[in-house]
Amino acid sequence: MIRTLVISISSLFLCLFFTACVRDTDFDQAEDISLSPIMELDLIYFNLQASDFYDTINGTPILTLRDTTEIKFLDDSTLQESLKRADFYFKFTNSIPRSFQVDFEFLSEENNITYETGTAVEQGEVSTPVITEFTHIVEGEAISQLTLANKVVVSVTIPSSNENLQGTLNMKSKTTYFLEY
Amino acid sequence: MRNFLTVMLFLVGVLAISQNKQILYGFDDTPQSLMLNPGSKVIHKKHYGIPLLSQIHINGGSSGVSVYDIFNNGNDNINDRITKKIFEMKNTDFFTATQQLELINFGWRAKNEIFFSGGIYQEFDFISYFPKDLAILAWEGNSDYLDYKFDLGEVSTTGDFMTVYHFGMNKKINEKLTVGARLKLYSSMFSYRSVNNTGTFVTRLGDENSENIYEHTVENADVSVETSGYASLRELDGPNEVIKEVLGRTLFGGNIGVGVDLGFTYEINDAFVLTASALDVGAIFHRKDVENYRAHGNYTLDGINLIFPALSDGESTYPYYDDIEDEFEREIPIDTIHNKYTQFRPVKINAGLSFGFGRFFASDNCDCMNMDTGVLHKQNVGVQFYSIFRPKGQQLAGTLYYKRRLNEFISAKATYTVDSYSFSNVGLGVSADVGSVNFYVAADNLLKYGNLAKAKSVSLQLGFNIIIDD
Repeated sequence: MIRTLVISISSLFLCLFFTACVRDTDFDQAEDISLSPIMELDLIYFNLQASDFYDTINGTPILTLRDTTEIKFLDDSTLQESLKRADFYFKFTNSIPRSFQVDFEFLSEENNITYETGTAVEQGEVSTPVITEFTHIVEGEAISQLTLANKVVVSVTIPSSNENLQGTLNMKSKTTYFLEY
Repeated sequence: MRNFLTVMLFLVGVLAISQNKQILYGFDDTPQSLMLNPGSKVIHKKHYGIPLLSQIHINGGSSGVSVYDIFNNGNDNINDRITKKIFEMKNTDFFTATQQLELINFGWRAKNEIFFSGGIYQEFDFISYFPKDLAILAWEGNSDYLDYKFDLGEVSTTGDFMTVYHFGMNKKINEKLTVGARLKLYSSMFSYRSVNNTGTFVTRLGDENSENIYEHTVENADVSVETSGYASLRELDGPNEVIKEVLGRTLFGGNIGVGVDLGFTYEINDAFVLTASALDVGAIFHRKDVENYRAHGNYTLDGINLIFPALSDGESTYPYYDDIEDEFEREIPIDTIHNKYTQFRPVKINAGLSFGFGRFFASDNCDCMNMDTGVLHKQNVGVQFYSIFRPKGQQLAGTLYYKRRLNEFISAKATYTVDSYSFSNVGLGVSADVGSVNFYVAADNLLKYGNLAKAKSVSLQLGFNIIIDD
């Protein structure tokens, strides 16, 4: 009786240890694991006064205003590999009675233009600001151009200006980054 | 990132749970039951653990997910399965891994009837709670979660690697009561913890008065990581050097701590026995090689504000981006602190009530295994309770068991355990004496051995001792 029990328990253990296994699984699927987060992130914003387009000291119009900022993460090697698509969204609120041309030049470390885009901004009125929205989608081959850049030059061009010009041009922007790791 | 995930998921599935040794507890046939209750009834006269082989214990688990959940070879996409699991799991779900290796273990009954025992073992213990919000943020991004406050405080993890020196005494006070205590000295070779963190990250859609489209805000952040035995490893060159240095700390080279185990056995009557123990009531005092990091503060990011300054030729504009980085570091600084700290050991509580029946006689003439007074039963049934204090509260387990002495040489114990991992944990332990060599093996979650991938936890203990009865 006891002998039978001993043998059966021992064999149960032996069985368990030798048959213990990991079944119905496929670890090659690890290759297919991909994180695909979609990140929303503010980009740049500015507020320009109509008077910024006129040099009162010399009495001459300034037709183009230009500023540059670094976007250091853009040419990061991780982002270069994982960025699949970037949607830029710009929102202009214009109360200056002029239309504008706004251009974005993306520059590499060596100041070469790797990517560019731009839009026209509708003319506004001081009493009733006009909103212009501009969406620009970068995907495919263009992504590799965009991610060579680590800074952006923003140029705001007004067709004409004088010292009596009034109103403001406001821009807000964000980017939606579609990533895949 | 992908490799990291794979390794994490694999480790989580293959290793086992939370230090509960429900099979060995009260299994007096093995000397190691004294390590779970220093006040357990010792029926032998002397024992020596075979060095390095007297107890090998591995235990790992994950309360919310099994390997099978992720890697089953179904037709659906693995990423859909991960997504499903991330949302199913709670921030109180956890991953644990524990490993213990006895280097030395010995015990003897002195002339004054006190049973002394002592030894050295090495222990690795890890727990991490599932930081659900951060997992969602990494997996899905913030795009679908505007206005949602991602909780940074869900990060809660500890890890320890130490050597424990212990010495205990066990004495039968009277007919009914046996008590025991064990003093422990801990030598921590490496330790880290990141607990009691707070803070949120939220992306809100701004209104027309906002500076930009969104406001990205980190609120009330206070996240810290405390480490000891880490700073000096950082400068070392390669894994070999690190291993050499860590192992070099085995002999009191690390941070010292002290603790006790306490326990008793109370024989209520011939049939019922009540036992209980509290293990690792103590603390480690991290005094040397301590390095702590703390990030705290509030910050709102609106993006980059261009101001189109009038520049003369060759003059460069403001360093907008660097300014933002500087501002962030100013508002949420990461401080490196070298404060000493005290770390309480996770206290483990065991309790059991056993009902014995069928008097056991080793032979017809003499009750050789029971020279002492008291009854040795052939069969026992009982209930056990186990609890361990973890960063986010107690983890509990309840066990029903059946134990049987098959003959003079072999005893077996079967357990059914309900814990954070499952309601279907069946375990079995066998202790066999061949001459004076005692061998035991105990494993749980046996029902899952047919496919370990489906197990959320696995625990295994085995070892060899030399036991001398008289």
